[in-house]
Amino acid sequence: MSDVLVLVSLVLLFALAMAYVLGCERLKGKQS
Amino acid sequence: MSLNGWLQISVFIVTVLLLAQPMGRYLTRVFSHRKTWLDPVLIPCERLLYRITGVDSDHEMRWTEYAGATLLFSAATLVLTYAVERLQHLLPLNPQHLPAVESALAFNTAISFTTNTNWQAYTPETTMSYLTQMLGLATHNFWSAAVGMALAMAFVRGIARRESKTLGNFWVDVTRATLWVLLPLSIVFSLAFLSQGVVQNFRPYDTARLMEPQKVTGLDGKTTIVTTQTIAQGPVASQEAIKMLGTNGGGFFNANSAHPFENPTPLSNFLEMLAIFLLPAGLALCLGEMVGSPKHGWAVLAAMVVLWFVGTLTCYWAESQPNPLLHGVDQQTSLMQSGGNMEGKEVRFGITNSALFATVTTDASCGAVNSMHDSFMPLGGMVPMANILLGEIVFGGVGAGLYGMLVFIVMTVFIAGLMVGRTPEYLGKKIESYDVQMAMLYLLIFPFIILGFSAITLLMPNVGLSSLANHGPHGLSEVLYAYTSATGNNGSAFAGLNANTHWFNYSLAIAMFFGRFMMIVPMLAIAGNLAGKKIAPTSSGTFPVTTPLFTMLLIGVIVIVGALTFFPSLSLGPILEHLLLRAGHAF
Repeated sequence: MSDVLVLVSLVLLFALAMAYVLGCERLKGKQS
Repeated sequence: MSLNGWLQISVFIVTVLLLAQPMGRYLTRVFSHRKTWLDPVLIPCERLLYRITGVDSDHEMRWTEYAGATLLFSAATLVLTYAVERLQHLLPLNPQHLPAVESALAFNTAISFTTNTNWQAYTPETTMSYLTQMLGLATHNFWSAAVGMALAMAFVRGIARRESKTLGNFWVDVTRATLWVLLPLSIVFSLAFLSQGVVQNFRPYDTARLMEPQKVTGLDGKTTIVTTQTIAQGPVASQEAIKMLGTNGGGFFNANSAHPFENPTPLSNFLEMLAIFLLPAGLALCLGEMVGSPKHGWAVLAAMVVLWFVGTLTCYWAESQPNPLLHGVDQQTSLMQSGGNMEGKEVRFGITNSALFATVTTDASCGAVNSMHDSFMPLGGMVPMANILLGEIVFGGVGAGLYGMLVFIVMTVFIAGLMVGRTPEYLGKKIESYDVQMAMLYLLIFPFIILGFSAITLLMPNVGLSSLANHGPHGLSEVLYAYTSATGNNGSAFAGLNANTHWFNYSLAIAMFFGRFMMIVPMLAIAGNLAGKKIAPTSSGTFPVTTPLFTMLLIGVIVIVGALTFFPSLSLGPILEHLLLRAGHAF
């Protein structure tokens, strides 16, 4: 069970990081 | 402080500077795909790797794709490490029959090594099997350093290219960094460490019979007589080289580079420090070569050397002072003793090489230690912490130091532009609002994580404070250092803090993750934006980035940003402890 929680946490962390990439790109798009 | 000590420090920095230029030129050749003397051996290996993995080496990536590839690679290698830790009891090369690593600790360690932090909330020789040390951890020493170098090269290309949408290919950069740079250097340094007595074997641990049996009282109050000592073994030399070259810092043994099997002699100690600074110094000059302004590389390296010197001077001075609370004890330097504060230091390294190592390992994001930072005098201990708090741009981690410094350069050029009322330019590229926004994001995330987590921990007596060995300002320093080290991806420990608890394992893991990836993203965004710009011709209003004035301004911006952000917390920790020590209080 703890392994499943850890893996879910990792998926969420990397999804957040990818969303952050897209957010930064979107900010650039808005300004240009 | 002694003349002998200063001679050793001088020999060290002169050696670094002498090797920086050839290393910088070699790195330029590797990442510009120019011919090197290793090509006949390595190009076939490179092609084979691309064929196996299906990588199109001609494909160029935009910054978002480069960031995505970084995240994907890091996620895959992180899961591999976690799996190896959790399954080590079922896997080979475990002669001590160590059980699976507990999940919270495995999570913390996997993130730690993926992010080049190498924070260790465990005792390696009693927790990790030989296979875990090699397949789970040492591989990350190569990968995370190669990722750092790849990211730095992406930023440099962003500056060097004109009206381009791309920054290179992540997979190619990581492959070349590993094959051409990290592997050959690791072989050379491993052999040098072997010659000094660093062990390399797969034997079960040795057991030695004590000449004088020891009485030991356990936590339960029971006294037992210990007659034997277990001496840990392992494939250390091969891991030691990349641990330093990749500015990783995770020790094979708990005592890290203070352990005689990891760092047996003053010469091995010198080589370890050299290995930490070699690639970051070379990368600074590689920047100059790749953007067509070698003098700019030297100006950046000069800023690093000045900041390194101030840290070394402060730490060496502080540790050379006698402890004012030890009345009547001879603490003067003489032929018979090192003098100064020798608590937590190895006699074979003395004050000079302990203070220098502590400064070097925290200037870079290495985190290996050959002395216990917790035992330093308050101001001596403040130096390693302040080095990390400045953003680890004083040489810095492999690649990470250079791209961190480049963000500070963007801010410096922006501030210089504001001073003279012109649009700021960096090597012909106009610095505009988006670049500054991303640079500010990079600079603000760092203190937000450190101070946020430290504050939360200090507000929780049963979870955070209960892990502390010391109270008062020293206790504050222990917590602040832990989150500073994690967020800065340094990994050195101040010690005195039991970090193997659920709270610290999870919160430090998140700090390491955010400290790596949440800072990489805005850095790559700046690089991507810069790559698309035209290069404006130099005019009389262009701020030169090759002069001592630029170096001084860069140092000023780094110090002012660091001081404005962290001076209040430092004043409540090591500075207050220093003043109280003078008044006769210890913690």
